[in-house]
Amino acid sequence: MVENRPLANLVSHLILITGVAIVAFPVYLALVASSSDPTTIANGQLGLIPEGHLFENYWKVLFQGTERSTKQPMIVPLFNSLVMALIISIGKIAISLISAFAIIYFRFPFRHTAFWVIFLTLMLPVEVRIYPTYKIVADLGMLDTYAGLTIPLIASATATLLFRQFFMTVPDELLEASKIDGAGPWMFFKDTLLPLSMTSIAAMFVIQFIYGWNQYLWPLLITTRDDMQTIVIGIQKMLYVTDALTEWQLAMATTILAMLPPVVVVVAMQKLFVRGLTETEK
Amino acid sequence: MADVRLTSVGKIYAGSVPAVKDISFTVPDGGFCVLVGPSGCGKSTLLRMIAGLETITMGEVRIGDRVVNTVEPMDRDIAMVFQNYALYPHMSVYDNMAYGLRNRKTPEAEISARVAEAARILELEPYLKRRPRELSGGQRQRVAMGRAIVRKPQVFLFDEPLSNLDAKLRGAMRVEIKKLQRHLGVTAVYVTHDQLEAMTLADMLVVMNQGVVEQIGAPLDLYERPETVFVAQFIGAPPMNMIELTPTKGLPAGLDGVAGLPLPAAGARLGIRPEHLGVEIDGDARIETRPGDVRLALTVEAVEAVGAETYIHGRLGGDGQMIAAREHGKVLLPAGTTRTFTARREHLHLFDLATGRRIAH
Ligand SMILES: Nc1ncnc2c1ncn2[C@@H]1O[C@H](COP(=O)(O)OP(=O)(O)OP(=O)(O)O)[C@@H](O)[C@H]1O
Ligand SMILES: [Mg+2]
Repeated sequence: MVENRPLANLVSHLILITGVAIVAFPVYLALVASSSDPTTIANGQLGLIPEGHLFENYWKVLFQGTERSTKQPMIVPLFNSLVMALIISIGKIAISLISAFAIIYFRFPFRHTAFWVIFLTLMLPVEVRIYPTYKIVADLGMLDTYAGLTIPLIASATATLLFRQFFMTVPDELLEASKIDGAGPWMFFKDTLLPLSMTSIAAMFVIQFIYGWNQYLWPLLITTRDDMQTIVIGIQKMLYVTDALTEWQLAMATTILAMLPPVVVVVAMQKLFVRGLTETEK
Repeated sequence: MADVRLTSVGKIYAGSVPAVKDISFTVPDGGFCVLVGPSGCGKSTLLRMIAGLETITMGEVRIGDRVVNTVEPMDRDIAMVFQNYALYPHMSVYDNMAYGLRNRKTPEAEISARVAEAARILELEPYLKRRPRELSGGQRQRVAMGRAIVRKPQVFLFDEPLSNLDAKLRGAMRVEIKKLQRHLGVTAVYVTHDQLEAMTLADMLVVMNQGVVEQIGAPLDLYERPETVFVAQFIGAPPMNMIELTPTKGLPAGLDGVAGLPLPAAGARLGIRPEHLGVEIDGDARIETRPGDVRLALTVEAVEAVGAETYIHGRLGGDGQMIAAREHGKVLLPAGTTRTFTARREHLHLFDLATGRRIAH
């Protein structure tokens, strides 16, 4: 709809601005809090104007940690979260692409069974099968390792389904043209299917990166050592102090830091991501 | 270069009736064979068996002196142009043409020479760097042709390559394809359901119906001597008029001069092409009747004048079946008038009523 009516414009802008404000205000408040003096929040004096302790707080939280709770430099859990989110998203995409490729392009016995088994796992997320999964990981000696953190989360029916759906829309003639052009199955995958899937892959990467980054329950169970903790748990632990005041300015700084990588991923992938959702290149 | 030899080829798709039954013919080296027939008659299936994209259930396909039944498509030395072109959307025009050569480990210098040559022939030089979606339909079609010719295959296979183009462009490309195939001397098998394409392109026309071959021959032979009712009505536009003649039931009213025809006791169909029905226009063009001619009294119902010719639709004997006639120039007969249309003896076709096969007369 292309219309140009000033009043309608004004109203729609007002609605949009209200929406943005509702979402952005808490984030702004966290930013203000992360720039404050330790006493400001404790005294209930936090205003709407940032104070001058921004760099000091971030430096402290990154490389020294809190004074009263965990006392761990947060650069370590940030790094762990990054590794975990990257392994999960890349691993999921790689495995899903290959399994969708097998399901769509190969005729093997029990092909449909394989598909439905993958589909069924949609109904069994990690939270449901957490005890057996924990037992397996523990028995394999993968507690407190990146492997233990990521492998159980990599298997993914959602991404497999998405790629399966996408592959089904790729015209059969492209495969046939490839065959005549002398490309075997792997060359077809590499030279034709992968480039065509790029936008879907970008969309999947964004979604899975955020999924991996936000994991809470699984890392909580599987990690005990401080140097294997992830950022979400790090924030949570910062808040527990006995007989003293929580260092809110540092917790808020950590929160802001924890928000940055997903934002960077979304912004970097935005162009591809939006195309992946709207346009097909066929 | 090679011929394509089909021996008793058949195809049964898993769990369904045969799509192609017992087809044998040979396309000579450098020949242009067109497979034509109504939708679903098995043309694409047959072509795809030659290409190696479908397994061959029965019979044998030879390219040159090699039986290719179990040979992979890439090793059959064929190139195929698809109806939707099937260009690789993410590759440039150049890469689309070069891809097959690269997979065959052709040296880069040779590849660029061949692509340049194809681009020159097909006038694609300005577009080599573009992606397929930045091209018009006709340009895409030419890229698909280019991808086929750079490979220098032994056989070209076309599956309705022009059906996505508008009528004018289709005409132009038809001429281009024929010229190119002549120039390269490559054997071609071409599928279409457009009879104009079929008639103009083919050296050898194969008319198919429901999985079997109805008739094979040069286009004009098929036009002049159709062996079956199906071929008679499939080739030519408007289709041939068919009048049922059953001596026991009496002949249709308005039909004169069929007494001398060798009608079988069981009956026959008399076929007359619309363009072979001449009409006398008030002494303008006199048609003198010769012995053996058949005369039809038609009551005009509709007249379509398209300039160079006129199509007249009328009822035989006033209330019988509809008959179409095609006259040169402007023949403006008012609706409701009854005229006598004459067909020469040599233009009559006679088919057995039961089998639909041609009867010599
Ligand atoms: N993969 C398939 N599985 C089962 N049956 C098929 C398959 N492909 C085609 N058929 C059937 O085989 C018959 C011939 O199909 P084919 O595609 O060869 O027809 P065609 O002559 O090319 O028709 P069109 O002019 O519409 O393209 C049809 O009855 C069709 O339903
Ligand atoms: Mg077809």
